[in-house]
Amino acid sequence: MRRRDLVARVGLYTVLGAGLLVVVGPFLWAVLSSMKPEAEIRRIPATWWPEVFTLDNYRELLSRLDFPQAFANSAIVAVLTTLGNLAFCSLLGYALAKLRFPGRRALFLVVLGTLMVPSMVTFVPQFVLVSNLGLVNSYGGLILPFLATPFGVFLMRQYLLSIPDELIEAARVDGAGELRIFARIVLPLCGPALATLTILTFLASWNNFLWPLVVATTEDKYTLPVALALYSVGQNRIEYGLVLAGAVAVLLPVVIVFVLLQRHFLRGIATTGLK
Amino acid sequence: MTTHRRLGTAAVLVAALVLGACGRDSGGGEDAAQPVSEGKASGEITVWAMGTEGEKLGAFAQDFMAENPDAKVNVTAVPWDAAHQKIASAIAGKQTPDVSMLGTTWMGEFAKTGALDPTPDGSIEKGAFFPGAWDTTVVDDTSYGVPWYVETRLIYYRKDLAAKAGVTAPTTWDELKSFATAMRDKGGAKWGMNLQPGGTGSWQSFMPFAWSNGGNLTDGDAFTLDSPQVTEALAYYQSFFKDKLSPPTDLSLQGALEQSFINGTLGAFISGPWHVGLLTEQGGAGFKDKFAVAPMPRKQSATSFVGGSNLAVFKDGKNRDGAWKFVSWLSRPEVQIKWYQAVSDLPAVQGAWNDSTLSGDPFLATFGEQLKDAKSPPAIPTWEQVAAVIDGEVEKVAKSNADPAGAAKTMQQRATGIGTGV
Amino acid sequence: MATATAPAKAPAEANATAGARPPYRLRQGLAGWAFATPFTVLFLLFMALPVVASLVMSLTDLRSTDLRTPLAVEFVGLDNYARLLDDTQFRRAALNTAIFVVVGVPLTIAAGLAAASALNSGLVKFRTLFRVGFYLPVVTSIVALAVVWRFLLDPEAGLINNALRAVGVTGPNWLGDPNLALPSIIVMAVWRNFGFLMVIFLAGLQAIPAELYESSRLDGAGRWAQFRYITVPMLRPTLLFGGVVTSIGYLQLFEEPLVMTRGGPLDSTLSVSYHIYNQFGFGNYGYAAAVSYVLFAAIVGLSVLQFRLLGSRD
Repeated sequence: MRRRDLVARVGLYTVLGAGLLVVVGPFLWAVLSSMKPEAEIRRIPATWWPEVFTLDNYRELLSRLDFPQAFANSAIVAVLTTLGNLAFCSLLGYALAKLRFPGRRALFLVVLGTLMVPSMVTFVPQFVLVSNLGLVNSYGGLILPFLATPFGVFLMRQYLLSIPDELIEAARVDGAGELRIFARIVLPLCGPALATLTILTFLASWNNFLWPLVVATTEDKYTLPVALALYSVGQNRIEYGLVLAGAVAVLLPVVIVFVLLQRHFLRGIATTGLK
Repeated sequence: MTTHRRLGTAAVLVAALVLGACGRDSGGGEDAAQPVSEGKASGEITVWAMGTEGEKLGAFAQDFMAENPDAKVNVTAVPWDAAHQKIASAIAGKQTPDVSMLGTTWMGEFAKTGALDPTPDGSIEKGAFFPGAWDTTVVDDTSYGVPWYVETRLIYYRKDLAAKAGVTAPTTWDELKSFATAMRDKGGAKWGMNLQPGGTGSWQSFMPFAWSNGGNLTDGDAFTLDSPQVTEALAYYQSFFKDKLSPPTDLSLQGALEQSFINGTLGAFISGPWHVGLLTEQGGAGFKDKFAVAPMPRKQSATSFVGGSNLAVFKDGKNRDGAWKFVSWLSRPEVQIKWYQAVSDLPAVQGAWNDSTLSGDPFLATFGEQLKDAKSPPAIPTWEQVAAVIDGEVEKVAKSNADPAGAAKTMQQRATGIGTGV
Repeated sequence: MATATAPAKAPAEANATAGARPPYRLRQGLAGWAFATPFTVLFLLFMALPVVASLVMSLTDLRSTDLRTPLAVEFVGLDNYARLLDDTQFRRAALNTAIFVVVGVPLTIAAGLAAASALNSGLVKFRTLFRVGFYLPVVTSIVALAVVWRFLLDPEAGLINNALRAVGVTGPNWLGDPNLALPSIIVMAVWRNFGFLMVIFLAGLQAIPAELYESSRLDGAGRWAQFRYITVPMLRPTLLFGGVVTSIGYLQLFEEPLVMTRGGPLDSTLSVSYHIYNQFGFGNYGYAAAVSYVLFAAIVGLSVLQFRLLGSRD
């Protein structure tokens, strides 16, 4: 038995380690290459460790862009979008999963259907709408269209379906109001799903490029990906050094959010006292 | 029946709600250019410009503001990536700036929306610009902007490999062929000459050969893509792939073009002025002495492609007169030279090229010479789609050995199906 | 064995007689709509309205040249949809997309589920490292990934072909060969996206009560049996979610061909979404919208299929 366990363990680590190498290897190259001069990045065959170590790519980004402003814009938009989604999507997700109300099925189908509409097709109508509402070049225009997303509702509903009804029924029998049940019983059970939704929404908002590019008409409203694209991709040439340095700069906050939240995946029903 | 009509009404209502109620507006073609007021510019002038141009134009405009103390130029830098989408959306939402930089091949489409203001007479002199560049602003006989800067395509070749192969820069089609063969067989290059084997933008690589052979994209409103001249040019283009002189995969797509040229596996390629800088940076010390540029080889003519960017003024902007005054200031020869010194954009105004800054540089002088015989596609709203058709057929000719006559016929058929959209 | 997904048996009837409070059914109906309203208002305005407008767009001959005067266009009924039948490029794109989805979705789900189960098995130390590592490709921008992939896949000197050369094999031109370009894109997509599913599945795995595993272990069930008879059935709602979301994403394959192949060589990596993108770029808004709704229909069809196969009786 012990021997089998050991074999299983060695096998598992080998597979996971190999997987990590395949996934992180290219990524590591990108990080290292962001600290090489342009000519070395483009050289074929490529180098792993920088022959010439330089922070010029980062320095150039910082000096040519209003980095703090773009970072602040991205943070404001991503945080508010995420908070909105957490609130609105968990409310509706709960209602769809656990409450019987007229039109429930239709509402779910409409929301789910919208999730399936290719986003390219709604782009121009959405922009014209935002423009008619006078929201061009405002935080409202950057945030409002993403505040309530079908994706979040679908995620929350599917997760909540797997929470036993008995818990909620018991609280109802005790006379608790629906809002109280939601806040005191349902939400604490949703840790993993809310953590997932936070990461995915934050990431989507943080990386969003086309919408903020079109809605922001002055540079002081540019988000980070938009500002970073300004000088890395030209009419006839791409600056790989700036692309990679920009990618690393954009990535860091998302990785931090992920590391902070990932331990919530560990907490779930197992630790919420459900027997 | 009634349900149908009711549905239709509802649909239009929704559309009106979302898209905003707009009256009919005259499209391009019926526009009459209005004169610009006399005197100095005043008020705020909002400008969109892409990439480096957007970065540098704000500071550059200080001189304009010094000349026009009541005017304030506000420049927003826009990433090249998706700039077309941004401008199209801005037109739909009536959120355009006063002036924007536009890609030369976008003019037909945006002019036809009715969003662009026709170029006023008087302040802007058509004859001052390179004719090929000026043509990119003309949609259905009306000009909607001015060329800002230009670029054209030349042959880049390795001088050292050419010397080894015992050849000099080609001047005719026959010479280009034997040049590429010699670069491969005697010069030691794996590929004698790179020609784009299809894929996005390969029309820019192919059309110079068609133009030099007397071919044309259109004659009036009709496409002429299956003319004998175009077919013959396709066959000539194809021969480089048949004879294994040109690589069948697109080197530029994965950034391998410069490296192949620098390490000597590629003897020559066709590209624009930006490659001088790219090669010098990546080739390391001394590489600048190893390559040179040559004009396009002659058949009936020696015509290249002219690209670059234009400046246009929007009707939905708030400061039309100020906008045109700024555009006309940017078109002055002395300002164009200063702009070249600031961002290395080649002047679209011919007069600027007499300055020693440009005429003294052997690379630039060759580009300047080529610009006198350089063409652009007609400014039609459907151009991008027609271009994609050409790209697709060029790819079949280069990669799957398709019959040039058949490919030309397909181009013609499909282009005619699309129409010019004017 | 009862699963947690089984809906409670008719709670409404059980409570219908409960005294002075408003009728249970009404109370729950009100609560349901109260919970649904904030989302629904925003959703109707910013999502549903543009969707309806774009649907209308697909019935018109709207071109980019009409953008400033969109109401001056003609209704053409289903003409745009009829045009699709003659569009050979669309057919090629549909075939490519179908292959991509049929091969790519199961591969991605398998990889994501394998990673999630392994990391959830309790055996593994350095969990955070693995989780963050596997998630990195998901968060990295596609432009940066394109630079990396280029260095991996270069036919002459890429890392992969260099490795193959070391074992005496001449590697192919991965993205330049019309037969290999699509498979290469599939591998890239799986590589890039399985971390996303891993995160989703990890959350789902947490919702499975540990007691189930413990009691089954007492019954002598091995790891595989546990996976087969506990994990998979209990994970059904999450698997459904992952499958549907991945299919929705993969049917809209776009970014990989955009940055790596531009749909080539010879249209071998042209996807339906790329075709739509091209049509919008060409200014054919009405037609592009029609293609979008055909793609939408395919997405709905595939999702319905998955709901049938994996969904609860809800």
